[in-house]
Amino acid sequence: MGSFSTGSSETQISTKEFMEQMNFQLAQAYVEKFLQTVRDKCFDKCITKPGSSVSGTESSCISRCMDRYFEATRIVSRAFNASR
Amino acid sequence: MDPSLNSAELQRFLSQEKEKAMVNEMVTNLTSVCWDKCITSTPGNKFSSSESACLSHCAQRYMDVTLIIMKRVQSMQ
Repeated sequence: MGSFSTGSSETQISTKEFMEQMNFQLAQAYVEKFLQTVRDKCFDKCITKPGSSVSGTESSCISRCMDRYFEATRIVSRAFNASR
Repeated sequence: MDPSLNSAELQRFLSQEKEKAMVNEMVTNLTSVCWDKCITSTPGNKFSSSESACLSHCAQRYMDVTLIIMKRVQSMQ
């Protein structure tokens, strides 16, 4: 078995294409989930009292928070992989 | 039909992807938990040394706890 057929259409994709599509979709899903988490954490940390708009201070806080969360992910990932 | 890849290769790919997904899931949860525990003040331009140490320790201790729980459950059976 080296290929898949997609339901009623006559299109067939190769295993290789399937793997590539799956890789791409998994990566997309991961990024989406990650950014949702970043949004939640940084909203929590930076928007303490929601006003009528996002202030410059709040904006800078969000930028810093994003950088820090990326860094936190790296630190945790390193610790996790070191022990596997 | 694609002759260059076979079902065994697909199986291997799927099991690798499953492993990767599990690792990602673990790291994602760990980061969320440890961020909440360790980053208590407004984020700055870099982590303090105690903040980065906390994050690293947190990840390690979390995994220790996972093991402790597993072992305890095993000894209960």
